[in-house]
Amino acid sequence: MTDILNIKDLRVSLQGKTILSDVQLTLSKGDILGLVGPSGCGKTTLLNTIAGFIEQEQGQILIGNSIAITPGNNVAPQHRNIGMIFQDYALFPHLTVEQNICFGIDKLAKKEQQSRLNNLVKLLELTNLEKRFPHQLSGGQQQRVAIARALAPQPKLLLLDEPFSNIDARLRNELMLSMRHLLKSLNITAIFVTHNKNEVFTFADRISVMHQGSILQTGSPASVCQQPINWQVADFLQLGSWIPLKVQSSITYQTALGEVSCLNKKVSSAKEDKIQQLLLKPHYIEICPTSTANVQVDHITITEQGFHYLFSSLTPNTELAFKQLSYYSNELYSLGQQVALTIKTHNFIVFNK
Amino acid sequence: MLPLLVLISEGISASTDLFSHLWQTVLPDYISNTLLLGTFVVLLSVCFGVISAALIVHSNVAGKAILRWLLMLPLAMPAYLVAYLYTDLFDYAGPVQRTLRLWFNWQNFNDYWFFDIRTLGGASIIIALVLFPYVYMLARTAFELQDQNLLKASRLLGLSAKQSFFKVALPLARPAIAVAASLVLMETLADFATVQYFAVNTLTTAIYDTWLGYSDLATANALASILMLFILFTIVAEQRARAGQAHQSNRINKIHQIIILSNTAQIFASGFCWLLAITGFILPFILLLLMAWEYSTIEQFFALIPSATNSINVAFWAASLSVVFALLFTLFKRLSTDKWRYLPMQISGFGYAIPGTVLAMAMMSTFAPIDYMINDIAKFFNYSPPGLILSGSIFAIIFAYTVRFAAIANGTIDSGIKQIPRSIDFAPASLGVNLSTMLTKVHLPLLKPSIWVAWLLVFVEAMKELPAVLLLRPFNFETLSTKIYQLISDEMLEQGALGAIFIVLLGLLPIIWLNRNKDNTSQ
Repeated sequence: MTDILNIKDLRVSLQGKTILSDVQLTLSKGDILGLVGPSGCGKTTLLNTIAGFIEQEQGQILIGNSIAITPGNNVAPQHRNIGMIFQDYALFPHLTVEQNICFGIDKLAKKEQQSRLNNLVKLLELTNLEKRFPHQLSGGQQQRVAIARALAPQPKLLLLDEPFSNIDARLRNELMLSMRHLLKSLNITAIFVTHNKNEVFTFADRISVMHQGSILQTGSPASVCQQPINWQVADFLQLGSWIPLKVQSSITYQTALGEVSCLNKKVSSAKEDKIQQLLLKPHYIEICPTSTANVQVDHITITEQGFHYLFSSLTPNTELAFKQLSYYSNELYSLGQQVALTIKTHNFIVFNK
Repeated sequence: MLPLLVLISEGISASTDLFSHLWQTVLPDYISNTLLLGTFVVLLSVCFGVISAALIVHSNVAGKAILRWLLMLPLAMPAYLVAYLYTDLFDYAGPVQRTLRLWFNWQNFNDYWFFDIRTLGGASIIIALVLFPYVYMLARTAFELQDQNLLKASRLLGLSAKQSFFKVALPLARPAIAVAASLVLMETLADFATVQYFAVNTLTTAIYDTWLGYSDLATANALASILMLFILFTIVAEQRARAGQAHQSNRINKIHQIIILSNTAQIFASGFCWLLAITGFILPFILLLLMAWEYSTIEQFFALIPSATNSINVAFWAASLSVVFALLFTLFKRLSTDKWRYLPMQISGFGYAIPGTVLAMAMMSTFAPIDYMINDIAKFFNYSPPGLILSGSIFAIIFAYTVRFAAIANGTIDSGIKQIPRSIDFAPASLGVNLSTMLTKVHLPLLKPSIWVAWLLVFVEAMKELPAVLLLRPFNFETLSTKIYQLISDEMLEQGALGAIFIVLLGLLPIIWLNRNKDNTSQ
């Protein structure tokens, strides 16, 4: 597949502070990449650098086969052939919907402009709204105008900076699905920035997790979830609870929930007596009514998946104690009730915190 | 509003003879001069203000950190002072023409051409030089507070930084520029001293001459009503231009799209900004300092003290009363549930649009009959008549100042109360505290900084005000501004240079505060 974007060894500093370092990223035609990470990790800076609003200090950005941007060879934003949809949509308030959409294509022949406008208005269901001003539109309509405006110049790459953060939670999922469907049907390559992990799983083909200015891991949502490369990735994506684990021998490990066995490579390479953190997903835990209680119920929430419990270990001052272990069940336990939990055998995911 | 209604009704009943005489002789010229002056000053101010604001925010012009605040300083300079100083500098006997005659061996004015500053054009340039900071400040704020994503979006849609400024940033700043232009126009229409000094006859000078020259209050009121009509047109135009402001965003984004200027453009851009700062403030201030250094004596300093004391006295009372009324109006607007709660503040704010000359006429038309009535009543009860206790005392001046500057106090205290969260209004009641305790223990302490700033701003404006006090002052009552105006009229500013410096320095205080406030907003 053709690479639309290729970023190598990118470093960006602002006011003497390194914001992005050693960023590597490749995007093929039609890919939708979700860029996630905690606030302040450099996601928007990366987007601004790709768009040309911030100059890189080091590294190369290759857009398509023709545009190569290096520190000595900057290319102005208007010549990068990139579209962007902003968090607040950034619709020009003094222009109508029609004028907004045609803003980037006003150098084209009138006939071509009209043809593109008609197509986009139809595609994005903006018929009869062409003469309205942005403040006369609903949030969803504004978003569709922003998409139409960004798509009108037929960009090689579309950047989306948290485009769903202003949308009502009930509508968000629906809009995400319809936008994904649109991008896929037009085979548009896109980078989508968010700090919401649920959005990225719904919207993206691939995800990149950023932390402190670097991309920690890139892959399909499933592969990143199943095999997070380190503690930060797993923690940001909230893939489960963390409980301390101590290596006893090459195959046995001690936790506050008892002794567990596993042949997982990563665990077996751990040093004896060293405390590590086991990533425990809720479905790998079960309640064992016949055993001695080892946890107590600290918090109960009602969710669509049943009751959500947070357990803490009954031995609070030991090195293997934990405070929050997440677990779902249809059975109702009471607050403070003590129960016995066991860990099912599975491929453990263990990290040093 | 009442004095204004009295003024208009008096104007309608003006002596038709004198009015028709004025109409057949000088009034058309006065009106056309007023309109031409207003047009020229607005055009020049918009030109100076928008270009300088655009260069400071959107370009890499050299020295922008210092120019950023230097460009605000001309606002502290009263236009009549600049007019006098530049006339002194550029007229036939001034140092510039003298030096040129010496260099080129010219004998008299027939040997060369030199511009005449005492013309309508000269007055327009001088007034624009001290009023353009209104446009500069509002345009700069509009550019800085514009949603930078709009400019980014335009760049990604194919525009260069320069095109993006002209197609997006400038149209979006239009409402702010319109507001500033209307402020400039109102100040120009209100100007009296500059046009009087330059012998450019406008409606304000006509009002003054009709009252003091012909003692015809009704005709003066009629002229004042015409001037008020122009002001009303300005306000309506401003409101219409402002209608688009609802589209603007206050989102602040730190990445500004900078237009990179070539070396030649840098020289022109930087030179343009420096020229404005130098001609609008630095040069006149240096000339004043030199004048004070060369001519001031300790006797002159002491001679200024009585008028300075009078100025401080009236400014103190005007500032204190304005703040008290503003507090009452603001708290009423905030805490009342009445649907007319906005009205007192809105009506009292209207005073700022009324030129000092018009306001003075309105005060006289309202208070003089009341004074006569009081005297008649006193006589009826066999008391000695108290005289003109309202129209012939500093009461009228303080009242006029309070009306004229109420908008400043209202605006400052209102913006202060907006910083206090609404929940603060409800919290004391939930703790069982009554309204008066809530006001004294919560709102007033929280509003203390705004109250001080409001007081200071009104005080400074009242110290500088000239046209109203010229018409309303009791016999032998001088303020610092009337004293300096008198010395300027007599071509003897040297004797009042120290007082002029004092007025300019006072005028700097609100600018420093404004600048600090704007920087905080930008941050």
